[in-house]
Amino acid sequence: MKAFTFIFTFLAGILVANATTFQVGSAAVPNLKKAITLAVDGDTIIIPPGVYKEGNIIIEKSITIIGRGFPVLDGENKYEILTLHGRNISIQGIHFRNTGIAGLNDIAAIKILDSHHIRIIGNKFEKTFFGIYLANSKHSWIENNELTSRGTVESQSGNGIHLWKCEHITINENTISGHRDGIYFEFVTNSMITNNHSQANIRYGLHFMFSHNNEYLYNQFVNNGAGVAVMYTKNVKMIGNHFEENWGSSAYGLLLKEIQDSEVRQNYFRKNTIGIHLESVSRTHFEGNTFNENGYAVRLQASSDDNVFTKNNFSANTFDMATNGSLVSNKINSNYWDKYQGYDLNKDGVGDIAFHPVSMFAMIVERIPAAVLLWRSFLVMLIDRAERAIPVITPEQLKDEFPSMKAYDLTEKSR
Amino acid sequence: MKIFILIAISIFLVSCAIEPEPLVFGKDQCHTCKMTLMDKKFGAEIVTKKGKVYKFDDVNCLFNFYHAGTVDKNDVQHKLVIDFSSPGKLIDAGKAFFLKSSEIKSPMASQVAAFEAPPNELKAQWEATELTWDDLQHQFH
Repeated sequence: MKAFTFIFTFLAGILVANATTFQVGSAAVPNLKKAITLAVDGDTIIIPPGVYKEGNIIIEKSITIIGRGFPVLDGENKYEILTLHGRNISIQGIHFRNTGIAGLNDIAAIKILDSHHIRIIGNKFEKTFFGIYLANSKHSWIENNELTSRGTVESQSGNGIHLWKCEHITINENTISGHRDGIYFEFVTNSMITNNHSQANIRYGLHFMFSHNNEYLYNQFVNNGAGVAVMYTKNVKMIGNHFEENWGSSAYGLLLKEIQDSEVRQNYFRKNTIGIHLESVSRTHFEGNTFNENGYAVRLQASSDDNVFTKNNFSANTFDMATNGSLVSNKINSNYWDKYQGYDLNKDGVGDIAFHPVSMFAMIVERIPAAVLLWRSFLVMLIDRAERAIPVITPEQLKDEFPSMKAYDLTEKSR
Repeated sequence: MKIFILIAISIFLVSCAIEPEPLVFGKDQCHTCKMTLMDKKFGAEIVTKKGKVYKFDDVNCLFNFYHAGTVDKNDVQHKLVIDFSSPGKLIDAGKAFFLKSSEIKSPMASQVAAFEAPPNELKAQWEATELTWDDLQHQFH
């Protein structure tokens, strides 16, 4: 142990003794590229305020680059600004803008390739094609960045934070808007996505595929073109996220496709065309979620099985649940439904008769979408009542046998 | 009178023509994976003899549907794929040249891109394998 401490102190001593700080803009260091050429592992480069147009800058040394007063690195609509390939590199306080746009190469403000222990912290990104792009990298932190782009459907646009084949990445407290997908993951494992705000992106606020064992906590996904899509993944935890105002014919608060063994807890779904759409989802637990003012709160396709919905609050949704099949082996118990009209004679807080969350009209609309025109008509109300008494076309098995008489208190708990 | 008949026939013919429909990127949804189509370099479409159009964001999604039997293979009128080198353009999948390489980052990770003209340059650059529609049919089964 002593020897270890000694070696550690010794090494630390060397690092501290040899670390140099370069200030960009002096006679010896006229620009950032020069500073990087001069720097060795462990050095720090300070960039004072100003606009720098240096084309593509490649960093392969373990250095820290700090911007003072948000100096602008401008890509002049032509270049990828920073390309990182190494380890222990930190980039802080820099304003990136105007990257090139290319259909074939994914040009980014910061591209990180085959690297590890990279920190991208407190930067601003404006009018970038891809913002931060990581491939084949691990153990890195992307925190407190602000990314805005002005993508439109017609023009090509890249993703805000894009990860491909990465592991152990932390993405925390970033704000992303105007990109194709706010946060995009493909083949990413063991990562944490926390406290981000992804709003008004063209397609999805968050999109991931083939990305197992990740956790998504306390993020906000608001008003994105098609909401959030989560696909072909096992063991996902989504807790305390907000999915709001995703309106449109193919927009979902949360689209789950081919998901297994996952958890969706304490999330808040408000004003989405469809709160959660489930397709081929198995063994997933939905608990303590709030569904408020959605078109459909939950749309459960018949290919989904062994899921549990419990202690969720459903209120003010047009349809609480819809399904396209009859036999559904999912457990839907002990939820609160504002449409429940049963009674509780023994006063134990649990309704005495079961609640069928799928209304007959929801079944009809599932088959004939145009029938939605008749919504709230007197006839539909009559048939719905009749169907509730004697179910004919609504799935009999799909019911909440212990509906809660009172809404659960799901106000955000302390983190 | 003759003109009337002619007009009637032409309207009849026009309304019955079974034509491919362009993919609307940013709006259309993939029939298989439900993703909104975004990348104009990739995409595919199947049009049935009855004129029903199914759109896909990647060739593996197309084959997923094609092999599932929802539509009988004999009822397929058009099979189309997007030409990688002219984004947004649908071409006949039967005549297209396909490349497969890990360099190709398609929306559903099929690693396949389609081309109207032989893509010799990209084939060398990506160290890609060249495939035909029939090869792909067996690959994505």
